[in-house]
Amino acid sequence: MGTFKTENPGNQPVWVNTSNCKACDICVSVCPSGVLGMKYEVTSTLGAMISINHPEACIGCSECELSCPDFAIYVADKKDYKFAKLTDESKERQVAIIANNYMSLSEQGVK
Amino acid sequence: MAFNYDKYLRVNKMPTLWCWGCGDGVILKATIRAIDKMGWDMDNVCVISGIGCSGRFSSYINCNTIHTTHGRTIAYATGVKLANPGVNVVVVAGDGDALAIGGNHTIHGCRRNIDLNFILINNFIYGLTNSQTSPTTPQGMWSVSAQNGNIDPTFNACNLAIGAGASFVARETMLDPKKLEKILVKGFSHKGFSFIEVNSNCHINLGRKNKMANAMENLAWIDSITTPLKKWEALPPEEQLNKLPTGVLREVEQAEYCDMYEQVIAAAQGKRGKITQDDFAKKI
Amino acid sequence: MAREVIGNGNELAAEAAIDAGAMFFSGYPITPSSEVMHVASDLLPEVGGKFIQMEDEIAGIAAALGASMTGVKSFTATSGPGISLKAEQIGLGFIAEVPLVIINVMRGGPSTGLPTRVSQADIGQAQYPTHGDYASITLCAGSLSECYTETVRGFNLAEKYMTPVFVLLDETIGHMHGKAVLPDLEEVKANIVNRATFDGPIDEYKPYKVPMNKPAVINKMFQGYRHHVTGLHHGDEGFPTEDAVQCEFNIERLVGKINTVAKENDGLDDLPDYEEYMLEDAEVCLIAYGSIGLGAYEAVQKLRAEGIKAGMFRPIMLWPSPAKRIAEIGAKFKDKIFITELNMGQYTKEIERIIKRDDFTTLFKANGRPIAPAEMVAKVKEMM
Repeated sequence: MGTFKTENPGNQPVWVNTSNCKACDICVSVCPSGVLGMKYEVTSTLGAMISINHPEACIGCSECELSCPDFAIYVADKKDYKFAKLTDESKERQVAIIANNYMSLSEQGVK
Repeated sequence: MAFNYDKYLRVNKMPTLWCWGCGDGVILKATIRAIDKMGWDMDNVCVISGIGCSGRFSSYINCNTIHTTHGRTIAYATGVKLANPGVNVVVVAGDGDALAIGGNHTIHGCRRNIDLNFILINNFIYGLTNSQTSPTTPQGMWSVSAQNGNIDPTFNACNLAIGAGASFVARETMLDPKKLEKILVKGFSHKGFSFIEVNSNCHINLGRKNKMANAMENLAWIDSITTPLKKWEALPPEEQLNKLPTGVLREVEQAEYCDMYEQVIAAAQGKRGKITQDDFAKKI
Repeated sequence: MAREVIGNGNELAAEAAIDAGAMFFSGYPITPSSEVMHVASDLLPEVGGKFIQMEDEIAGIAAALGASMTGVKSFTATSGPGISLKAEQIGLGFIAEVPLVIINVMRGGPSTGLPTRVSQADIGQAQYPTHGDYASITLCAGSLSECYTETVRGFNLAEKYMTPVFVLLDETIGHMHGKAVLPDLEEVKANIVNRATFDGPIDEYKPYKVPMNKPAVINKMFQGYRHHVTGLHHGDEGFPTEDAVQCEFNIERLVGKINTVAKENDGLDDLPDYEEYMLEDAEVCLIAYGSIGLGAYEAVQKLRAEGIKAGMFRPIMLWPSPAKRIAEIGAKFKDKIFITELNMGQYTKEIERIIKRDDFTTLFKANGRPIAPAEMVAKVKEMM
């Protein structure tokens, strides 16, 4: 049974509910800022789980939340949190994550 | 605090039964957000679904919900709405549900212009029954019921809806949930039959042997076959053939069925004369 | 005080529906039932009810079920081919426990068959109209008055047992025009049964959490009690389940809430499930129902005039059948039982099942023509 975490767990820009995540990669693919990435997780059906690697780079666009089919990822309201600006570094990281098959850059190998 | 989905979901039914990356979940979310924008009282909302993956849609939204038989969603919804004109009715069906087995009801729902908010989730395949050809499966694609390639021509659901007289017709994809939410709000706000086709993915059953076996590849394909209406209109005819225009394709004010029925009641109760052709601008 | 009215069976059935509290009709035109629809289109809006002619037979019942799922009393009318088309939706009515009255004005079949001619060949279809396990309630009108009273009763049974109910007319009785004696309207209104409701706390609302052999308690929609309706097997709250214990309970309850209850209480309500005519001192029992019963009255009289003490047993509630009384008749009349029906013996099979014998004399007809009293008389004389 899934639970919801619409409450901010503590001054976070973006947070996840891993019990709802099916590891489809969509949120990673839509992030403009290289915040997210998948990590290997043997207990997950698809062998991976979402991970928030760079919360400090989150620009609060909510694309990940809106594109998540499973109510597994949430973004703070713009009035509650001061988000970062989109930087070249973030953009480059996002390109690298996609090239790494949506896996976090710390993860190596083929999913 | 993020958007409060809990208010609208049957939380103990989560996670959904849908596959990883399924567009149904994105459309469910956009629908919830659109309902929130509309400010509907959920006690006064009925969500009706049919058979297929989209059939589960109704069981996830916390309101009055009906999971009907294959293809008959609009017929059941017509009964719900006509018997209770004051309530908001959202109908969800897939391409097999609404365009094949239930095609007749789709046509006549559009024709009557009854105030239903109809969301057609078009993923171009039968998903729940594992990859059979649907009326929107492109020619030349593989399906389990077209092992040597599909030869069945497809039809354009929105053109069908326009031809049948739906007063609001729109197409959007699940690629851009913000746009989708806006289109849904427009459709929900429209009085009359709102036909909203949402192109969605099924990388599991459409994608697996059509070279788009993960969600992103399937989404890229949907992106490649859709284009905003304005851009589509500027395309040469041979290119228009292979692109589906998105956005609001038709929006007209037209007498709504339940409103018209009030006139029938007034006539039957002697509060006005019988309904005649003079009551209608369109005579044939 | 009773009322006397002039009309045909179809019209009387439609008027009965509205008197019984129906506020919604949806259907599709089909001979010989269309007059039910015609009258509904005229009378329903008068009382603020809704009428809609749908695009096909399937939609014809689907819209009515949809309306009834929200709590509005609904009905539809059709004939055999229409029932065949509606079959899947009737199944949803059974499993989701949606009250609905389905009037079937029987014509000759199978398929398009004999659209304008009489038949009673949908008896078996009424018992098992759709796939799966369930129990059907089927009433069969044997006079113009019963076209009215059995339709009213159909609504009350549908609401009491939360199930679709068949009211069978046949072409003869549906199109027979004449005088009918009807119960007083106040009396009809006073005896209207409405579906049970739950008025406890909203979070304790579990429409399908009911004991064995009891119907679901489903509230009207849009009043704060939210529930889920599905054609899938479902648990207490109406949500899909494949739990083996639950599924078994569901089916036993669906069948038991009608068949077991009827057996234990000798019927489903206090109204007569059959009529007996001059049966008390009879030596031979004619069994007939529907419009054929009308001919059997005359046959009984003719036989008595010729010195044969005949009587008639006419079932009104065909399913579940008045089994206790049929068994008594079997014991009393032995092989002096004559069954006549407008099919190849569909109800005869039920009588054989109950009496556990098959040495009856029968007269079946399936050519679209009624059975004349003289034909019954000749056959009975042969057996005596």
